Amino acid sequence: MSERSIDVDLTRSSSGRVVKERIYKWLLFACAALTVFVTAAIIYTLATDAIAFFMTEDASVTGFFTGTEWIARSDGGTFGVWPLVTATLTITFVSALVAVPTGVAAAVYLSEYASDRMRSILKPSLEILAGIPTVVYGYLALVYLTPALQWIGIPVSTFNLLSASVMVGIMIIPMVSSLSEDAMSSVPDSLRQAGYGMGATKYEVSTGVVIPAAISGIFSSFILALSRAIGETMIVVMAAGLRPRMFNFTNPLDNLLSSGQPMTAGMVSAVTSDATGGSATYLSMFALGLTLFVITFVMNLASDYVASRYQEEYQ
Amino acid sequence: MATDQQTGTWYGTGEAVSRVRGQAFKTLCLSATLLALLSVFVLLLYVANDAFQPLSADTGWLLVTIGTVVVPSLAAVGYYYTRDTRAGETATIALGLPIVSLLLTGGVFITFEHVVSVYQWLSILVSLAVAGGIVYAHSRVRTEADLERLVVVVAVPALALWFIPKLILSLPMLPTQSIALLGSFVVPVAVVVGLFVRRQRENDRDGVIAAVLTLVGAAAGFGVAPVVGITPFVWMLLVTVTAVPVSLYVESVIRRGAGVSGLAFPLIVVGGIVASAVLTDTLGFAGPTPWLDWGFLTNVPSRTPEDAGFYPPLVGSVMMLLIIIISAFPVGVGAALYLEEYAPQRGRWGRLVDLIEVNIGNLAGVPSVVYGVLGLALFIRAGGLGSGTALVGGFTVGLLILPIVIISSQEAISAVPDSMRQASYGMGATKWQTTRNVVLPEALPGIMTGNILAMGRAIGETAPLLIIGAPAVVRIAPNSFTNKFSAMPRQIYTWSGEIDAAFRHGVLAAGVVTLLVVLLLMNGAAILIRNKYQRRE
Amino acid sequence: MTQDSMTNPDSRTDSQSTDLERSNQTSDPLVDSSIDTGQSGGSGGETRTVIESRDLDVFYDETQALQSVDIEIPAEKVTAIIGPSGCGKSTFLRCINRMNDLVDAARIEGALNFEGKNVYDDDVDPVVLRRKIGMVFQSPNPFPKSIYDNVAYGLNVQGIEGDYDAIVEKALRRAALWDEVKDQLDSSGLDLSGGQQQRLCIARAIAPDPDVLLMDEPASALDPVATSKIEDLIEELSEEYTVVIVTHNMQQAARISDKTAVFLTGGELAEFDNTDKIFENPESQRVEDYITGKFG
Repeated sequence: MSERSIDVDLTRSSSGRVVKERIYKWLLFACAALTVFVTAAIIYTLATDAIAFFMTEDASVTGFFTGTEWIARSDGGTFGVWPLVTATLTITFVSALVAVPTGVAAAVYLSEYASDRMRSILKPSLEILAGIPTVVYGYLALVYLTPALQWIGIPVSTFNLLSASVMVGIMIIPMVSSLSEDAMSSVPDSLRQAGYGMGATKYEVSTGVVIPAAISGIFSSFILALSRAIGETMIVVMAAGLRPRMFNFTNPLDNLLSSGQPMTAGMVSAVTSDATGGSATYLSMFALGLTLFVITFVMNLASDYVASRYQEEYQ
Repeated sequence: MATDQQTGTWYGTGEAVSRVRGQAFKTLCLSATLLALLSVFVLLLYVANDAFQPLSADTGWLLVTIGTVVVPSLAAVGYYYTRDTRAGETATIALGLPIVSLLLTGGVFITFEHVVSVYQWLSILVSLAVAGGIVYAHSRVRTEADLERLVVVVAVPALALWFIPKLILSLPMLPTQSIALLGSFVVPVAVVVGLFVRRQRENDRDGVIAAVLTLVGAAAGFGVAPVVGITPFVWMLLVTVTAVPVSLYVESVIRRGAGVSGLAFPLIVVGGIVASAVLTDTLGFAGPTPWLDWGFLTNVPSRTPEDAGFYPPLVGSVMMLLIIIISAFPVGVGAALYLEEYAPQRGRWGRLVDLIEVNIGNLAGVPSVVYGVLGLALFIRAGGLGSGTALVGGFTVGLLILPIVIISSQEAISAVPDSMRQASYGMGATKWQTTRNVVLPEALPGIMTGNILAMGRAIGETAPLLIIGAPAVVRIAPNSFTNKFSAMPRQIYTWSGEIDAAFRHGVLAAGVVTLLVVLLLMNGAAILIRNKYQRRE
Repeated sequence: MTQDSMTNPDSRTDSQSTDLERSNQTSDPLVDSSIDTGQSGGSGGETRTVIESRDLDVFYDETQALQSVDIEIPAEKVTAIIGPSGCGKSTFLRCINRMNDLVDAARIEGALNFEGKNVYDDDVDPVVLRRKIGMVFQSPNPFPKSIYDNVAYGLNVQGIEGDYDAIVEKALRRAALWDEVKDQLDSSGLDLSGGQQQRLCIARAIAPDPDVLLMDEPASALDPVATSKIEDLIEELSEEYTVVIVTHNMQQAARISDKTAVFLTGGELAEFDNTDKIFENPESQRVEDYITGKFG
């Protein structure tokens, strides 16, 4: 090969073009990196102001995490997080009772039984359900569900955890059903056929083959849905009330019938109250936000982890 | 197989195989699904009932309306469903498109009324045109100066946008608003329509005709509009944003020749409504007094339920969406492009990208109220923007939907077949050229679908608005992004605090129905785009 | 093409329209540098080598796809690459214009010289390289754009100036597609039949006037009639271009190529010689077994 060939041709890329390409690449990278910045900013803002909250006279770390009384006045108060946490847990638990069986049953029906025509009606309907804003669910709970419960003889107060929980449960049904259905329909058909080949009925295949095979996907959908329920704000603000009450262990059902204030509602009430900028009440929002963020973040990671284990099984 | 030992035949349902349990299970699953759906839909029916109060009308009115509107419409639906599904599709779009475009017209009207005045819009257009001219001229004169052109491309539009609008707005003589709209809005739309028709029909003449018809139709407003009782301004918007897309669709259906009978459906519905109105009027039947009426949409909130209106929150929601469209969407699509087209898969850099992807998935699960806190800290306290302004609301909710935009755009981009990219790289295209010329156009319908759905999510978000201090009641519609604003869900939340039954079951229901109708139309549009796109595949 | 060559009146982009200029251009290096490496096999000894690989290894992660390949591809001839599936023939083709760069897992060792310059040198811009080496893919992949825009795509992205209408027409004529599509240049490239689509892709590849045309089983997705049209076209194109074609169809290789390289499983170049020699009297027993259909 000759030394004096036309090699200049291959390397003579106009520098302007290369710079332009780089600029575009870094611009797009900046867009993607912004999401990391968002996470960092969330953690930073929540953490700094949560620390400021714990530094105030009225609050302390131990008092916050062990206290069973939450009184937020504009000039200070007592800040023990357990009344809010128990309200959140109650709502999450009851909404899971509503959403998990219904959602899984819907997923089984859609994935295993529904005809194409039925699916083409049911799936978009569930999508519509998932698209309804939570403020509308809150309104439904407050104005229609609570009076309806009273009408059938359940002695609920105007604001109560029961109707909020049921509404939160209904709200997360589409999430459970669509994610579980995804998990079930990605179970390979060969497994089903193996089941049918052994003479199993559709019921036996669904419950004995498909659900066990998709179980980690189904679990991951539960975790995600429950994390939605924990972070849900408008339904609980509108229907559960804004008065914090410690969980009554002697009469658990009573907790459902009366009002309560979950963590998200605590944040809203802190910011919409008259509390001034630096007061403990105002800053309590950040401590609550941080607790909420950590819980949901861990749950999302757990859901990812469970789901990725499930993917490995069929690779 | 010892069949002879069994009592019955070997086929059929012997007791060995129980069907009862399976049937019961199937029924259980189906009823759970239906329970979930019906519980909400029944409640929504109650809401609709409260919002429209149909029972407050005379029985005669109801009977006439059922006879003229409901029965013919249902008959048509039944016909389309059983006989002619293609026409059914046409019917859906023929009814849906005018409604969606009317909604869009309302959005454009509100934008011109409250966000950018026609003159501002005109001056922006002129600046961009001047800047474009300069950039083009530069590319002709100095073809090789790539880097220099980069500077020109960035600097000239910025300078133009800085100086020219001031110059234009300070002119002593400005054309009337309607003429300005004709020049700055109708003419560009007409050009776009012309180009679109030309491409569709591969015929220059048809394109010119379409453009001229658009222009003439809009300009006719100067003569016709006062007769009809609206301003020429509104007439022009109606022609360009509503009439033009509808007539393009009608024309395309007729030319296609399939499912033409579906076009009759909106006529049946509208004709039925008109007939009902005329009949009930002459027979003297009183109609219902709905809470959701024109007054509700155009009034400002009030303490008396009868006067309460939804106009300022409507404007606020439109403003918020505009901010999201110009801030969150480009960033989200950009991030998706990086992750799908540029990001390396392996090495240390690849692990960083993995981290970004996991992080995006997790951000999608962060509660909305936490985003409110972020917006409060980032934009109000650190950024110094005013509490409760449309700008802060848009940015905050924009951050909230950013993960959704990114994930759905990523799906759309990764659906572009790899052979397209290969072909482009094989032609010596650079990464950006491939992305811009091949990937982006191909992924656009999918990206649009995802973005519209994300907009649906954004329009219903309430909790972040509470945290960033969107006021409970806004009595004057905001006129700038830095005004305090309220959005539809924020106003609904305020009203939910009223104890008066007229608010609870009336005004509130009307607000909820408005919000849901807007959402439903947006989702419907997104699904239509998706279906059209999927069919092409 | 780079910006500079665009504005240079002597550059080959502007010589698009006249074949005379073009042949001057391509013969220049022959005169100046006497690259001729002297082909071992008889008839084509007078041609110059455009592409040569020296000890070329390609790995996908830990899997070796090509094993120390040495090959010299002559200018303005059709070189066919055949071999059983998975033997690395497409991998080799994609090494030439560095399309393997798009695969993160691919790792390349050794040298692949194009006009005497190792294309894997650090200072080589793969984009510039690909502008000199056009490529046609296995299944037709026109862009979802109009026929005209498809052909003009390369001109646009490479920033070539000139009379696009004329260049597009010429490329379509050369791809033997002009008469079929001249009335519907504005309609989508996807509306054409499979064979037409592939010819459109060829027109798209030759419109910017590259030096080399790589074809990766260009007819494998087509019916026999369309295939024979593509084959005729390849023979015509070889008068002006260096064509490297990968095919799994031995008859096709025998029909259209001047030189044939046989890759065998494991990514090893078993034999490279004049096509007649390969098909009539191969040196290697394994190649003979493959040609006669004993395996593969």
